[in-house]
Amino acid sequence: MPKLLVCYKWVLNEQDIKIRPDDLSLDTSRAKGKISDFDRNAIEEASLIVEQQGGTVDALSYGTSAVKQSVKDVLSRGPNRLLWVGDPSAEEADAYVIASVLAAAIRKNGPYDLILCGEGSSDMFYQQIPARLAALLDLPCLTFVQKMTLEGGAVTALRKLGDCTEQVSVTGPAVVSVLSEINKPRIPSLKQVLGAAKKPSEEIPIASLGLTPEELAPKAVRKSPKGFLMNRKNVVYKESDAAANVAKLVASLAAEGLR
Amino acid sequence: MSILLTEEQELIGQSAREFAKEYLDPIAAELDHTGQFPAAIVKQLAAQDFLGLFVASEYGGAEAGYVSLVEVVENLSRSSAAVASILVNHSLAAYAIQRWGDAAQKQAFLPALAAGGTLGGFAVFEHGPTPGVGPNALIATKHAAGWALKGTKAYVRNAGAADVYVVLACTDPAAGAKAQAAFIVPAKAIGLSVGPLAETMGLKGCPVADLVFDDVVIADSALLGGPTDGQTITTETLALASVAEAAQTAGIGQAAVEHAAAYSKTRVQFGRPIATLQAIQTLLAETAADCHLARLGLRCAAKLMDDGEPFLVEAAMVKQFLARNGAKLLIDTVQVEGGFGYSEFMPLPRLFRDIAGTTLLDAPADYPEKTIAAALLA
Amino acid sequence: MSILTAAQKQIQADNVAFVAKEIIPFAAQYDKTGEFHPYLLDAARESKIFAMAIPKEYGGLDYDALTQAVVLEAWGYGCAGMATTLAASVLSMDSVMVAGTDAQKKAFYGPMVRGEIGSFGLTEPSAGSDAGNGKSTAVKVGDEYILNGSKCWITNGGYSSVFVIYALTDPAAGMKGISAFIVEKGTPGFTIGTVDHKLGIRSSNTVELLFKDVHIPAANLLGKEGEGMKIAMKTLDMARPAIASLSLGLSQRALDECVKHLQQQYPEKAQPGQTLQFKLADMKIEIEAARQLLYHAMNLRDAGLPYSAESAMTKTFSSDMAMKITTQAVQLMGTFGYTTGIAKLMRDAKIMQIYEGTNQIQRLVISRAVLAPARPAVAVQKGGI
Repeated sequence: MPKLLVCYKWVLNEQDIKIRPDDLSLDTSRAKGKISDFDRNAIEEASLIVEQQGGTVDALSYGTSAVKQSVKDVLSRGPNRLLWVGDPSAEEADAYVIASVLAAAIRKNGPYDLILCGEGSSDMFYQQIPARLAALLDLPCLTFVQKMTLEGGAVTALRKLGDCTEQVSVTGPAVVSVLSEINKPRIPSLKQVLGAAKKPSEEIPIASLGLTPEELAPKAVRKSPKGFLMNRKNVVYKESDAAANVAKLVASLAAEGLR
Repeated sequence: MSILLTEEQELIGQSAREFAKEYLDPIAAELDHTGQFPAAIVKQLAAQDFLGLFVASEYGGAEAGYVSLVEVVENLSRSSAAVASILVNHSLAAYAIQRWGDAAQKQAFLPALAAGGTLGGFAVFEHGPTPGVGPNALIATKHAAGWALKGTKAYVRNAGAADVYVVLACTDPAAGAKAQAAFIVPAKAIGLSVGPLAETMGLKGCPVADLVFDDVVIADSALLGGPTDGQTITTETLALASVAEAAQTAGIGQAAVEHAAAYSKTRVQFGRPIATLQAIQTLLAETAADCHLARLGLRCAAKLMDDGEPFLVEAAMVKQFLARNGAKLLIDTVQVEGGFGYSEFMPLPRLFRDIAGTTLLDAPADYPEKTIAAALLA
Repeated sequence: MSILTAAQKQIQADNVAFVAKEIIPFAAQYDKTGEFHPYLLDAARESKIFAMAIPKEYGGLDYDALTQAVVLEAWGYGCAGMATTLAASVLSMDSVMVAGTDAQKKAFYGPMVRGEIGSFGLTEPSAGSDAGNGKSTAVKVGDEYILNGSKCWITNGGYSSVFVIYALTDPAAGMKGISAFIVEKGTPGFTIGTVDHKLGIRSSNTVELLFKDVHIPAANLLGKEGEGMKIAMKTLDMARPAIASLSLGLSQRALDECVKHLQQQYPEKAQPGQTLQFKLADMKIEIEAARQLLYHAMNLRDAGLPYSAESAMTKTFSSDMAMKITTQAVQLMGTFGYTTGIAKLMRDAKIMQIYEGTNQIQRLVISRAVLAPARPAVAVQKGGI
C-alpha cells in the first residue's frame, strides 16, 4: 500500500493584490490565502491514486504561521494527514532553504513511495523545488508531468515538453511535479469539509529538523517585488482624414521599433 | 465576508462559490431563457452533499447546520438564484420531515432526500387567502385506508420535478385555519396531478405549478406530526424559507453590486468613469450596506437555528427588512448601469427578475409584522 | 387649476375606452414576444392621437400640455410599452415644434397626421447621460450634409418614418458644435442596427441607427448649426412630463389591480387588515400627489411660464413612485403577482427612472434650481445689509 507525500504552498491570492500606482509596490492587505494552483493538482493526483489503490497521503508545507489557515482546506481535498512547518524564516526563504526544510521533514516522516509537487508555485514560480528535493533526497525527478500512473512501485509519466511529449518510467521512489492538465481538482463536498477536522495534523517545529543556520540562510535575496502596470499611451490622431491619421500611426509605430 | 463563520463554514462557502463559478455561471443565462428544469445540475448538487446539508448523518446527511445552508444558498445564488430555489424548496421538505417525522418517516425519506435520489417540495399556499376556506381549498377527510385529499395547492415550487411533497391540508373546514395537518405525499400518488407550469417573472428553471388532489388516498402513516400540527409546521418551515430566501437575496444583491461597481469603473461619461460621481457612489454604497446588513441578519437567524434556539422573530425581521429593501438592491444597481442595466443582453435584468421572487413572496404581506409585534407585545 | 374641463374629461374618457379595447387585451402577449405592435398604429389612425401635439393648422389635434398628459396617463395605465411608442413619437416632433420652419413642420408632421410615428435620435454609446458627448458627424458639402455615425436605444427606430438626428457639424466645438437634422426613413446609407431586448416596455421598439455617408438636404437643418443641444434641452423639458404621465398611469394600474385582488381574496371583509390597508393608503397618497405635481407642471407650460424644474420634479417623483408602487403590488399579490401581468408592471416601471434623463440627471437640474441665488426683489444698496 503506497505511502505518498504531497508538498504544497499556501500563497496569497494574486487576484486580491493591488498595485499602488505611485511606486508600483504591492498592497497585500486584502489578500486572502489559497493553496497554490498547481499544488491543488498535486494534492488531487495523490488523493486519486490512494482512493483507487489504497495507501495514505501525507500533505506537507513550509510557510509562516499563516500555513495554519490551510490545514482544513487541504485535508478536505483527500490527504489523510497534514504536516506543517510554520516559521518566520519562510518569509525570506528562497528555493534552497525551502527545499532544505522540506527534505528534512520528508526524511523525518518517510520513507515515501512517491513525492508529488506542483510544477511551480502561484507566487514565485521558481520551478526548482522538485529538482532540489530530488537531489537532496537522492531520488529520480520527473517534471512537467501531465499524466501519470503508479503501479507495483513503478511510476509511469507523460511529460509535456516544449514541442513534444515524452513517456518515462521509473521504478522505486521518485519526485514528480505536475501540470494543471493532469486532473481537475475536486470541489470538496460538505462531508469532505466536515471530515477534515477529524484528520490528524501536526506542526513540526523547525528546530526539530536539525538544520544548520547555513541551510536556513537564503542564497537569493528578494529586494522588493514591484507590480507591473501596462499604461495606455492614450495617443489620439485627429487629422481631418483617415489616410493622414494612418500615416501618423505608422510613423509612430516605426519610431517605437516596429517594422 | 467571513464574520460569524467557523472555519468549516467558510470552507463550505468557498466550495459552494467554486461550484457556482464552475457549473452555474456557464448556464445561468441559458436556464433563464429556457426555463428547463436543470436535472443534471441537481445531480451535481447532490454530489456535493448540498441536498442533505442539515440532515443528520445517521440518515446520510452532512449534518452541517443552517449557517452552512445559508452560506451555500448565498454562494449559489450569486451565480444562479433559480438553482438555489430548487435547493431551498427541497430543503423545506427535508426540514419538515426531519423535525416532525417519526422514526419510520425519517428512515423512509431522509436518506433519499439527502442523497438527492428524491427531490422534495413544500406545498402550503392556496389561491384563497385562508387555508381551508374557499372552493378549492385542500381538505383532508378521514378514509378507511387513512386519509383522502381533495383540492388544490397553489404555486408549489419544484412541482413536477419533486418526488415527494410535504402538503398542508385542512382536516375540518368548520374549524378552518386551526385544523390543519401536514402530510407526506409521493408525487406518484394516484389522483395527484401537476397543473400547467406558471410563467414566473424570474427564478426560471425552478418550476412553479399548482398541485391538484383528486381524492388522493394516503395511509395514516403519511401524517406528519399530530393531526393539528399543520400550522406550527407551516410557520416554522416558512421561517426557514424566509432565512434561506434572504440568503438568495443577499447573493443576488452581491452579484449585482459587484457587476455595477465594475461597470461604473469602465463607463466614462463627462470625461470620467461614472464611479467617480457621488450619485453613483451613493447608489452602490446603499446597496452594499443593505446587502451586508441583510447577510448579518440572516446569518444570525441561522445561527439561532444551529443552537436550537427560537428563531421565528429573527427570521421575520430579516424577511421584513428585505421586503422593504430587497428589491432596491436591483432597482439601484440597474440604475447605475442605465440603459445597459435594462438590456437583457446584460446580466442585471435577470437578477432584477430573480430578486423580486426571493424578496417579495412566500408569506402573506402582513405576516412578518404580526410575528414581530406578537413577540414585542407578549 | 387641477380640475379637468369637460372637454378634457371627454378626451380622457375616449382614451380610456380606446386603451380598454385596443391595448389592455393585447399588452401581455406583446410583452411576452417583445414584438412591436403595428396593429396599434392602425387602430389609432382614425383618432389621430399620434398627432395630438401637432397644431391645428398642420392637421393635428392641438392638445394642450395638460390634455396630452391625461392621454398619456390613460395609455400608461394600459401598457407602458405601447404608451412609450406614443410618448417617444411626440418627443421627436417636439424638436420640430421648437426649431422647425413652416416647411419643415409640414414635412415632419404630415406623416404623423397620417398615423405614422417618429424618433428622437440623440443617444449614442458614448453619449448617455453625457448627452452632448455624441460622435456622429454631419459634414456640409454644397447644399447637403453628409451624416456618419450611429445612435443607440432609439425608440420606434425600426418603424418611424421621420427622425430628428443630432450630429456634430463642428467637432472642435464639442457640445456647442452639435446640430439637429430631420432625416427620413429609407435615405440611402441609413439603416437600422440591432434591436434591444429589454427587461420591460418590451413591445416598445428600441434599436440602433446606423449612418454611413447619408446625404441630407441642407434644408433639413433645424434651427442653426450649433444649436442642437439647445434644441435638445428644450425638447426634453417638454417631453419629461410624458414619462411622469406614463408612470402615473402605471402606478394607478398597479393600485387598481391590488384593490381588485384584495377584494377577491377578502370578499366578506371591506378591509383586509390595517397593515395592508395602510399600504394602499400610502399608494393613493403618492398617486394623488404625483398627479397634482404633474398637472401643475402642465398648467405652467400651458400658461407660457417657466417649468423646467417642475418638469424634472414631476418626472423624478412619478417614476420613483411607480417603481415603489409596482414593487409593493408584487408583494401584496404574492406569487399570483409574480406569475402574472403584475410582474410586467414592475419590469416596466424600472425604465421610467432611466430614460429621458436619468433621475440622477433630473436631480442635478432640480438642485441647481434650488441652489441658484434668488434674484433680489430690490437693488442692493451699497453699505446696506
